[in-house]
Amino acid sequence: MKKRIPLIAHDLKRLYTAFIITALVLFVVCSFLTEFNVMTLIANSDAFWEFITEDFFPPALPKTSRIPGVLSSVLVTLALAMSSTAIAAVLAFFTALFGSEKVSPFPRFAKVVRGFATFLRNIPALVWAFILFSSLGIGTGVGFVALCITSFAFMVRAFVETMEDVSQDCVESLQAVGATFPQRVSQAILPSCLSGFLSWFLYCVEVNIRASTIVGMVGGGGVGLTLFSYIKSFQYDIAFSIILLIAVMVIAVDQITGKLRKEILK
Amino acid sequence: MQPILKFNNVSKHYPNGVHALRGVSLDVKQGEFISIIGPSGSGKSTLLRAINRLIPISGGEVLLDGEVISKQRGKSLRRQRRKVGMIFQNYNLVYSLSVVQNVLHGRLGYMSGIKGVFGIYSEEDKQKALDLLKEMGLEQFSYNRASDLSGGQKQRVGIARAIMQEPKLLLCDEPIASLDPSSAKTIMELLHDMTQKRNISCMVNLHQLDVALKYSTRIIGLSKGEVVFDGPPEKLTDEMIEKIYGTSRDNLMIGGNADEKADTADCA
Ligand SMILES: Nc1ncnc2c1ncn2[C@@H]1O[C@H](COP(=O)(O)OP(=O)(O)OP(=O)(O)O)[C@@H](O)[C@H]1O
Ligand SMILES: [Mg+2]
Repeated sequence: MKKRIPLIAHDLKRLYTAFIITALVLFVVCSFLTEFNVMTLIANSDAFWEFITEDFFPPALPKTSRIPGVLSSVLVTLALAMSSTAIAAVLAFFTALFGSEKVSPFPRFAKVVRGFATFLRNIPALVWAFILFSSLGIGTGVGFVALCITSFAFMVRAFVETMEDVSQDCVESLQAVGATFPQRVSQAILPSCLSGFLSWFLYCVEVNIRASTIVGMVGGGGVGLTLFSYIKSFQYDIAFSIILLIAVMVIAVDQITGKLRKEILK
Repeated sequence: MQPILKFNNVSKHYPNGVHALRGVSLDVKQGEFISIIGPSGSGKSTLLRAINRLIPISGGEVLLDGEVISKQRGKSLRRQRRKVGMIFQNYNLVYSLSVVQNVLHGRLGYMSGIKGVFGIYSEEDKQKALDLLKEMGLEQFSYNRASDLSGGQKQRVGIARAIMQEPKLLLCDEPIASLDPSSAKTIMELLHDMTQKRNISCMVNLHQLDVALKYSTRIIGLSKGEVVFDGPPEKLTDEMIEKIYGTSRDNLMIGGNADEKADTADCA
């Protein structure tokens, strides 16, 4: 038999094969460990479908008297996401200045700052929410703090990287001129990184719209809590229209921030 | 006359163990135009950055205008730095700001913290910046964003910024390495004229031997962190060049081609 001419490097081919096999093995092992069985899903599919078709469909509107309340809870969620991201961005900017060896006046502590941010970031907002709710009680204010912490940590990392990419050269030139650290920040770092910062900020708003809904469900207020209260009282058809409302809200915000980001990065 | 700059047995080793400068001693007098030449990695950039302490040195001392800058910190360091203009290969402008704002950055070293932070420059300074831009032939770009300019124009803004400092010494780290030959010529002439007119000493890192020979009053040859030549361009013999670059002058001129051939041969 004639040997086929290969189209990709031999190593690469082996890598792909190994990857697929590993994925399969992992799936089997994990299914076994979690006792998840595709069969259950198929066997119970009737119940599942029934739940969806009977309980969720058709979506129903809440009582007319409740509608303004629902809408205002959407506003609360939006406000929660926006304000927590805004406050976190300001704090993250000042922290990020100390998180880059190339910019910080105390380069030795840059690693500590970044490490701290990474630590905070790797704890999801939901976990922060639970920790804070159990110590401070539930409420929108506490949800705000929970969202602030994660978006702060995320933006510190993102801002540090933006600064290292963009402004290292002009920071050096201003240092050579004899500018002070605050002067370097306002005259070189801020102008050259502003569009990058804003773009990360908008991304963070997108993330926080979703996160604030979830944080709301566990006690942070807003549309998440409204949804949860309908689910708890088995009014699934109303819950479904609220889910649709949430989807509309998220999509609208994504569209707006996406447009703005494109505009900024032009 | 007191030298504007003095290196006393300066050495620098980087944390990774590289000895970038070994026992460098030299004096620079007012009005000199010095080219620093040497192969890649010989320590040219390190030498320039040691002067305004963008890089801290490990041994010896650097005296700028009679003061030991290698020991200064804080306010006195900033006062020293503003006497030294610097021009970079990558121009190092703030591209989102206007051209005139970039030129005015040269004044930051003279301004109080707060005024500098908010960019409140005096009318006098602003007028001076505009005049300088006119002198450079850039007046019609004064209010463009710096990112709109071509490479040669950006470098002219860099020069204007440095001149705004009213420096006693101008440091140029490969000012023409990213430019086409004609812009490179404009920039070298500008550097030469501007510094001679104002009696500013100028130190230029160069990769182009012919450019160094054409403009300099003095040439410093570096090899592996040591000064192996220091004298007027006439004294730079072919043997000296060979000592600096570790290869003969002929190889330097066509060396690029020979190397490239060797490279492609390696790849194949
Ligand atoms: N930040 C640094 N950390 C460690 N080593 C460095 C650093 N900067 C430079 N070096 C090393 O010091 C030596 C001198 O570097 P320098 O940049 O001064 O050379 P150069 O003459 O300017 O070279 P080129 O012509 O390529 O710009 C090189 O061997 C380089 O690898
Ligand atoms: Mg260099």
